[in-house]
Amino acid sequence: MRQLRRLGKLAWALLRELADESAYQRRLEATGRPDSAEEWRRFTEERYQARSTQPKCC
Amino acid sequence: MKLLRTFFWAAVAFAAAACLGGIALFHGERVNSVWLVVAAGCAYAAGYRFYGKFIAARVLALNDLRATPAERLRNGQDFEPTNKWILFGHHFAAIAGPGPLVGPVLAAQFGYLPGTLWIVIGAVLGGAVQDFIILFASMRRDGKSLGQMAREEIGKAGGFAALVTVLLIMVIMLAVMALVVVNALRGSPWGTFTIAATMPIAVFMGVYLRYWRPGKVLECSAIGSALLIAAIFGGRAVAVSPSLAPWFTLSAMVLAWALIVYGFLASALPVWLLLAPRGYLSTFVKLGVILMLAVGILLVRPQLQLPAFTRFVDGTGPIFAGKIFPFCFITIACGAVSGFHSLIASGTTPKMIAREGHALPVGYGAMLAESFVAIMAMIAACTLQPGVYFAVNAPAGVLGAAPEAAAATISSWGFPVSAAGMADLARDAGEQTLFARTGGAPSLALGMARIFAGGTPFGAGGRAVIGFWYHFAIMFEALFILTLIDAGTRVGRFMLQDLMGHAWEPLGRTSWMPGVIGVSAAIVAAWGFLLIQGVRDPLGGINSLWPLFGIANQLLAAIALCLATTILIKMHGLKYVWITCAPLGWLVTVTFTAAWQKIFSPTPAIGFLAQAAQLDASLRAGTAIGPDGTVHTLILNARLDAVVCGILLLLVTAILLDSLRVWVGILRGVREARLRESPFVASRLRAEEL
Repeated sequence: MRQLRRLGKLAWALLRELADESAYQRRLEATGRPDSAEEWRRFTEERYQARSTQPKCC
Repeated sequence: MKLLRTFFWAAVAFAAAACLGGIALFHGERVNSVWLVVAAGCAYAAGYRFYGKFIAARVLALNDLRATPAERLRNGQDFEPTNKWILFGHHFAAIAGPGPLVGPVLAAQFGYLPGTLWIVIGAVLGGAVQDFIILFASMRRDGKSLGQMAREEIGKAGGFAALVTVLLIMVIMLAVMALVVVNALRGSPWGTFTIAATMPIAVFMGVYLRYWRPGKVLECSAIGSALLIAAIFGGRAVAVSPSLAPWFTLSAMVLAWALIVYGFLASALPVWLLLAPRGYLSTFVKLGVILMLAVGILLVRPQLQLPAFTRFVDGTGPIFAGKIFPFCFITIACGAVSGFHSLIASGTTPKMIAREGHALPVGYGAMLAESFVAIMAMIAACTLQPGVYFAVNAPAGVLGAAPEAAAATISSWGFPVSAAGMADLARDAGEQTLFARTGGAPSLALGMARIFAGGTPFGAGGRAVIGFWYHFAIMFEALFILTLIDAGTRVGRFMLQDLMGHAWEPLGRTSWMPGVIGVSAAIVAAWGFLLIQGVRDPLGGINSLWPLFGIANQLLAAIALCLATTILIKMHGLKYVWITCAPLGWLVTVTFTAAWQKIFSPTPAIGFLAQAAQLDASLRAGTAIGPDGTVHTLILNARLDAVVCGILLLLVTAILLDSLRVWVGILRGVREARLRESPFVASRLRAEEL
């Protein structure tokens, strides 16, 4: 049961990482700024800008 | 305990050998797909445990005491130490594209055995090794890209050639993937509506995330996924509506132009509006469907209907022409060895590795998982009746336009199929016809639909649910191919701007709108030209474009392996050079042979120049099929394909010669064997931070 719970936690953490939610959380912690629509926009603009220069795999 | 472990690994190795031997030697009767699953699973486990760990410990000497760039350069965003299993999933999601799904389906024309063996052996000894070593190299160099590393370790000429090669490959890849979508959607109102609906869904998600619920990506993706399912049901309603169906029943040419316009707009629109939400949705749908397919295969355990070998190993295949060697090995790239992975392994992933030891499960392990996706695609394709498989995948130019004539042609190959049976199947799938739906996507969707329908409680509904699952699979394939097209066009634009900026500085500026629009148009025009050429091709386009893509992708792998070999020579001299030289030698042999045949083969179905000469002769003799203008275009296209293939060969030859010069110099002691690694810094990362 504990193993299953651990697996579930890992899967959830992976989904949050793929969704950039963890990265956003880390940014808030690093900068000390509160969560806001403006902050999310700033975060995504930087992140998408960096990501859109990297090739996607076939 | 040690004895038990030895016994366990001996059993795994024995199971791998027995299953691979079983499917290779006893292929007179029908084989259950479980044999392939066990053979692949055990071969991957043994390869990881022995070969992967050997490379990690002895060759690369991964050191967990050495701080990785994620720790040293930690900034909470790109550089962030990440749990190894999360990073494994992240890396797998990045490398898993449509390639490992489509390639094996096309290569199944040789039978299930050649492709399966290449997928398993190629991944364990080649693909995973390439991904792992490039990831290691980038991790030791602060997350530098393949091009930067090639420039530093090999030389400026090698770095420049790598950049040009990547750009060319990107253009070919975008064209061939767009052609797969066009062939899957032409004449299909259900499929076209479903895919068209993904665009407003993505825009809705973009607006939702930016203005209504900023940051709630998972919540928004769940809503988007529900809307996607609703779009599939909506597509069914559209397909049976006499007034709506004609709006969504489009020809291949109209679909191709729609994709070209879409590609241009997507590369110019703000990323948050379309690209990013589509990317999230595509990633989650992709992972979910791959998981569903794995569970479905284990639950249904379907029998393989295709034989181990077909008569087309002799090179007369209707899907693509050419013998098993070299064409099987370039048709399947992403599931076995893919050069594109080296771009991902030197991109985001090396910046997130917490401990050096994690490079093994992430680099080597994720490639094995990708290879398993290719095995599942092979199983899905091979569960179709051979006659059905060839009816769907062979082009109209080979089969003939009339269903009866097409069925008779396929039956004459020894794979019985009837026009009435195909019409029933098309009705079940909600399509007007399933003849000559080249590109691999429709046959994969049919195979997946059968597995999904058989593995769910609704399986009893059988034929009634096939249509839903077929279009679910088409939606899944088209969704992430479109993601690849919009993101790829944008990346291509950045690469071309980077190159052109050397010639005229303003063109290199990503904020200068005339430059952005002009270069975007140039990239779209390049892949759009190849796409239109594929649509016009009477042999379906896949015959010429997929091998070109395979050759390009494997040549990129050769570049990555040249870099990996250079690094191994600098680290150990000749001692471990065989690890990268064996797959490099194989890839160079395969790709150079394939490229040579594609350019110079006297058989018009294979050689571009022979094809052009044949068309030219038919034009002069007045026996050409189709208007003169079209034939002139086909001649020009064939010659252009030959030139592109030749340029790729020259570029890779230049990199190979440059690498050889460096290797000989180092081994003779006349060239410095200095590795450009970042200096050692002791790790201070605590266990609870991993």
